Amino acid sequence: MGTLDPDESIRPETRAVAARDDTVVMVHELVRDFGKNRALDHVTMSIRAGETFGLIGPNGSGKTTLIRLLQGIGAPTSGEVRVLGRAMPDRAIASQIGYMTQSDALYGELSARENLRFFGRLYGLHGARLGQHIAEALALVELTDRTDDPVRTFSGGMRQRLSLAIALLHQPRLLFLDEPTVGIDPELRNAFWAYFAELNRRGVTIIVSTHHLDEAARCHRIALLRFGVLLAADTPAALRAASGEQDLERAFLYFARRQATSMRAAE
Amino acid sequence: MSERLDSVAVAAGAAHEQRAPRARFSLRRVVAVAARIVRQFIRDRRSLGLLFLAPLLVLTLLNLVLNNTASNLTLGIVAPPGQAGEAVVSQMRQRLDQQDSTGLSLKTVPRNQVDATLKAGDADGVLIFPGDYAQALASGAPPQLTLRLEGSNPSAAKQLSATVALLAASLTSPASSTGAQPALTTTYLYAGPEYTQTDALAPLLIGLFAFFFVFILASVAFLRERSQGTIERLLVSPLSKAELVLGYVGGFLVFALAQSLVILLYVVYVLRVHYAGNLGLLFLVTVALTIGGVNMGIFASAFARTELQVIQFIPILLVPQILLGGMFWAVDTLPPVLHQLAYVMPLTYANFALKDVMLKGFGLSQIGPDLLALVAFAIAMVAAAAFSLRQDAA
Repeated sequence: MGTLDPDESIRPETRAVAARDDTVVMVHELVRDFGKNRALDHVTMSIRAGETFGLIGPNGSGKTTLIRLLQGIGAPTSGEVRVLGRAMPDRAIASQIGYMTQSDALYGELSARENLRFFGRLYGLHGARLGQHIAEALALVELTDRTDDPVRTFSGGMRQRLSLAIALLHQPRLLFLDEPTVGIDPELRNAFWAYFAELNRRGVTIIVSTHHLDEAARCHRIALLRFGVLLAADTPAALRAASGEQDLERAFLYFARRQATSMRAAE
Repeated sequence: MSERLDSVAVAAGAAHEQRAPRARFSLRRVVAVAARIVRQFIRDRRSLGLLFLAPLLVLTLLNLVLNNTASNLTLGIVAPPGQAGEAVVSQMRQRLDQQDSTGLSLKTVPRNQVDATLKAGDADGVLIFPGDYAQALASGAPPQLTLRLEGSNPSAAKQLSATVALLAASLTSPASSTGAQPALTTTYLYAGPEYTQTDALAPLLIGLFAFFFVFILASVAFLRERSQGTIERLLVSPLSKAELVLGYVGGFLVFALAQSLVILLYVVYVLRVHYAGNLGLLFLVTVALTIGGVNMGIFASAFARTELQVIQFIPILLVPQILLGGMFWAVDTLPPVLHQLAYVMPLTYANFALKDVMLKGFGLSQIGPDLLALVAFAIAMVAAAAFSLRQDAA
């Protein structure tokens, strides 16, 4: 894996890198404004097939906005987003994307199986194939014994697991996970990450947002976001090395300080 | 490691170029959404009860309140001249006393003052004996009696005509062994026969309940979609906004039509209201109203953050329609400003159409303009819902 300085990736010649065959997500000079607020400020990055790419930053740093734009919810104010070779927003790639939202996003009145069945049908699954996918997804998140219970009776961790199962149901090539491990116990969190690695091995690209820096260390590459600005994007090891710090938290603070300094310099 | 990733990606990249399907309308997805909504409501016993039992409860109460035995009725009598007249009046008083119960008082009315008395509200009906009553009885020919009813209060009219029919039948004096039964003709100052308050209200209630519950339940369902975050999942899925809206309409139609059918069966077979209509036309009106209601609910839910706030739409969006839509006062008798307001509200048109279908047995061409207004409303609401969905996707 390269150790590109993030600042370099903005330079035009690095777009050759972005156009490589294994690039599944390409973001160039992306700006997204909400009224007077700039949620994303000239973000440029690329994500490769089969990697787990972490979006790291405090609340309000633009992680969810970026994840939504990558999936074609909303349009960029300026700049370009290409996902699986298509300029977003484009609904044609919808069936190849899986999304685990920040909230559980489940229908409480319905059972686990009914939730899965509903979303599966939206992705064109039906009949025996749908049943098979549902059984696999439920087994994977270990909810097989609670299949027919209404979801409103589920604990937080079970809801998170079902939410992940829904995101995986149609076997997407690209998986967006928005804070997937918020509010779940360490054991389950560990199980989730082990499973993400397994998905990577199967060629699935995972884009995960988190503000747990210990989770960031388990990503292949991470992007540090602060106030909508991409501070740096690289492997955790490279970021630690570049900042001269031993842990990611301090590395993040280093890049944050650098941003603050350059902003003052610009004024 | 990167070589391995590259090779996977190349394979995957090659595959997706052929795979990426163009977003195309799918009825299957629409049905999936509709089926999910049906399933959710079947689980939600309380909403289901609200949908089907509340209308029946309200109708039963209204039926009792509006059609209870009217008390303090006054029957005017235009008596035959002379001795015979006095005899008839006292005979009637006697009969009434025997029947007890009714609280009906009698009052003689001059022959030329019948309608004036009714208009003044001094009597609820007038029984008119012919001038040659005595002669007719004597000759054995059946005397011609006329009951003239005021008619604007259906329950009073009904009760009075029933009582008078009994009285008239019993008037054959034992003396006239010829047994000539007086013939009774009933005429009305206002309105007509066999017309009760429930008759007048039932069609309007079918429309109101369909609209009211569909609006409330669709707003809440969509509000939940937003608050629980499932809307995000739907937006990134292959489901298009049109499919989502159609799915909602389809799901709610199942319940709205079932509700209309239950109400209709109840009012026709239990409350026995007048029904001259065509079920297909009635459903057509319900369909148009439901499409409008579901989409108005989707639109309105964008302005609510909690379910309580959905309830707060009732006084703003629904009560004016109930008050002005012709349920309590005829739309044409409203003051000019309200009159115009009534004509921008969908329930007004639904009321016209449903009343015409159920009471008058009108056909499609006759309710066409009202149906068209409902369709226009539905289209406007679909546009509003589409607009609010676009906001969700921003």
